[in-house]
Amino acid sequence: MKQISLIVATLTIIGIIAGGSLSLVNNWAAPKIALNLKAETERAIFLVHPDGKRYEEIKNAGLEVYKVFNEKDSSVGYSLVYDGNGFQGNIKLMIGLTNDLNRTTSIEILEQSETPGLGTKILEAPYKDQFNGLEVNPSIILVKGAEPSNPNEVQSITGATISSKAVVAIVNEGITKLKDIENKGASE
Amino acid sequence: MIVNLWQAQVEVKRKNMETTTTIEPKQKVYFDLTTSPHLHSRWTTSKVMWFVVAALVPSIAAALTFFGWTQIFIIIVAVAFSVGTEISIQTIRKKQITWFDGSAALTGLLLALTLPPNFSLSATAIGAIVAIGLGKQIFGGLGYNIFNPALVGRAFLQAAFPVQITTWTKPNFAVDSVTSATPLAALKFDKIFTDTASMTIGNIGGSLGETSAIAVLIGGIFLIAVGIVNWRIPLSMIIGMLVFGGIFWLIDPQNPTPVFHIFAGSFLFGAMFMATDWVTSPITNKGMWIFGFGISLVLIVIRIYGGLPEGVMYSILFMNGFVPLVNRYTKPTIFGVAKEAVKK
Amino acid sequence: MKKQVPLLREFTKGLWEINPTFKQILGMCPTLAVTVSAINGIAMALATTFVLVFSSLMISLVRKLIPNQVRIASYIVIIATFVTIVDLVMKAQFVELSKALGPFIPLIVVNCIILGRAEAFASKNGPLRSVLDALGNGAGFFISLFVLGSIREIIGSRTILGYQVLPNGFEPWLIMILPAGAFLALGLLMGFANLYIERKKNLVRESLIAQYKRVGREEITDEVLKEAGV
Repeated sequence: MKQISLIVATLTIIGIIAGGSLSLVNNWAAPKIALNLKAETERAIFLVHPDGKRYEEIKNAGLEVYKVFNEKDSSVGYSLVYDGNGFQGNIKLMIGLTNDLNRTTSIEILEQSETPGLGTKILEAPYKDQFNGLEVNPSIILVKGAEPSNPNEVQSITGATISSKAVVAIVNEGITKLKDIENKGASE
Repeated sequence: MIVNLWQAQVEVKRKNMETTTTIEPKQKVYFDLTTSPHLHSRWTTSKVMWFVVAALVPSIAAALTFFGWTQIFIIIVAVAFSVGTEISIQTIRKKQITWFDGSAALTGLLLALTLPPNFSLSATAIGAIVAIGLGKQIFGGLGYNIFNPALVGRAFLQAAFPVQITTWTKPNFAVDSVTSATPLAALKFDKIFTDTASMTIGNIGGSLGETSAIAVLIGGIFLIAVGIVNWRIPLSMIIGMLVFGGIFWLIDPQNPTPVFHIFAGSFLFGAMFMATDWVTSPITNKGMWIFGFGISLVLIVIRIYGGLPEGVMYSILFMNGFVPLVNRYTKPTIFGVAKEAVKK
Repeated sequence: MKKQVPLLREFTKGLWEINPTFKQILGMCPTLAVTVSAINGIAMALATTFVLVFSSLMISLVRKLIPNQVRIASYIVIIATFVTIVDLVMKAQFVELSKALGPFIPLIVVNCIILGRAEAFASKNGPLRSVLDALGNGAGFFISLFVLGSIREIIGSRTILGYQVLPNGFEPWLIMILPAGAFLALGLLMGFANLYIERKKNLVRESLIAQYKRVGREEITDEVLKEAGV
């Protein structure tokens, strides 16, 4: 009996000390971590809308989407966060869209785990810059081998077809979802 | 006390030395101890190796015809670096140098034939060094390796240089329908079927030795006829592919036919030259059937569900790992022992 | 009574003699997973060393107060506390590094080096020795991770600590920054290390045999070799 109470007492004391010191550290760290997260989101939002100065989160959309405003406080478009499956893991994108949702301004890859040197070419300008001012109606189409001939076409990366395809699919799907929400919002 | 012991030991040693010196060196009997099974046959290692090299001649000829004579450099580099690595490692480890048995040269040749046309020569050299160094010598040399050395080298190159190793040069007399992609890649990414006729002749994109089914078959049948390759492994792989590929095809006709699977990619090359490697395939007949079916099953899963269009290399390496287990469980029953004794 | 080891020795033994990676073969998960670059290896080793030193100190201080039955549970709580502190601090101050190391910082909790040293050393020795032992093991871990990270970074991405060291003509071996490369590099390093040790042992053995023949001693056992410092 004495033994058991000793064990309980020891573990309780250790637990209290551990918990107490952790809450102290957390009090110091939590605001900083939140600030870091906010700064990161902000950076990503303005990456796809370089002339943006202010943003507003669109609540209750079921999507992580932000409306971006410029210096004169007029809306320049949307920044949409959307993710999907790549070749090896998740690809998370920040998609910049114009107000009418007919063009992408540009895209930014936030997270990916594609094959280094092959799939990771989606991060590089030759592929990524194709999304600057890309027509998205009716949807973005991936072409192989040939140069894009229509305003809604993106050229695939040689040897990394799956990754190229994945990015296009994610952008298409994200835009469709956003349009659905817009339509619903308009009808209500 | 210690001193006494020491002296006693020295005396014993001296006695031993005297007795050994009385034996003439000629009379010394050597016992060559290796692990079972002990097969005795007319085939010496070097003879087998040169026969396999001869069987590869049609494939080499096809490669040089379709992809240009300069491909000979890839073969030369791969063979030279394989032999060179073998000699260097055996010298460093103070082992008997055995490059002339042809096994290293054959590994180099097989590696070269699995590489895409116009592959970088420096990368070929790295592949050959890895094939012999990490695929074979690190386990102790010929006969001790678990995995097919040529495929180890190929797998290393696939992981190290994924872009170069999937860059397929157009064959010399290419038809327009299939540009530079291999039939499997064309199917996987663009849903373009390649007809069996061009895959039989080999005028398509692909690795040096794998494109021409007819050349591979000539070599393979030659090896089966002279008795180097056991027919059970290639046959079980082909039957396995007909069965498993057939199941997938029946479930969803969008999938390619089993015949396409057999002729596309390096299936036949793998069945004839890679899976049948003596060291890394099972020794029992039953084991060979299991091995062959296993390769086909893994392969069809990779080809249909995997991210890569081709998977012969990985499926053979995968099944190589199971060979000791397969050998263990397909051991023939021991006869001539009382049942009670076996039970015990 | 146990023979007292010199204080400095408690530190230096961790560098090579009982090197966590190469000799104890502990902490393989972070060793293989995060060493895609030298800087990741350094950060991981520093974080681990921090946890190792403080948890060893704490455990050694309270070692006589903790009942034997719950010692492992208590150690784990202490270790987990320090790991969480490291994780929070890194998230707050070193965002990029914390992102690169991802889940491997929280996973320091289950790194066997820490519990191993706690159980094998800190629970039996005083605070000063425990801290020295922890520092030594941390330094040993640092050396291994830095070497492994450097090799993988040089061959896999042509750079070291972000500076390009190999020319553009060198095609990087992508396998080295993939998981397979970690196994290959670690296996080969260990192989060469063992080869070196074996050679050295044989040399000492031979010289000892020659020496003992003159003096007259019975035989060379492993104990004799250990005494000779091999």
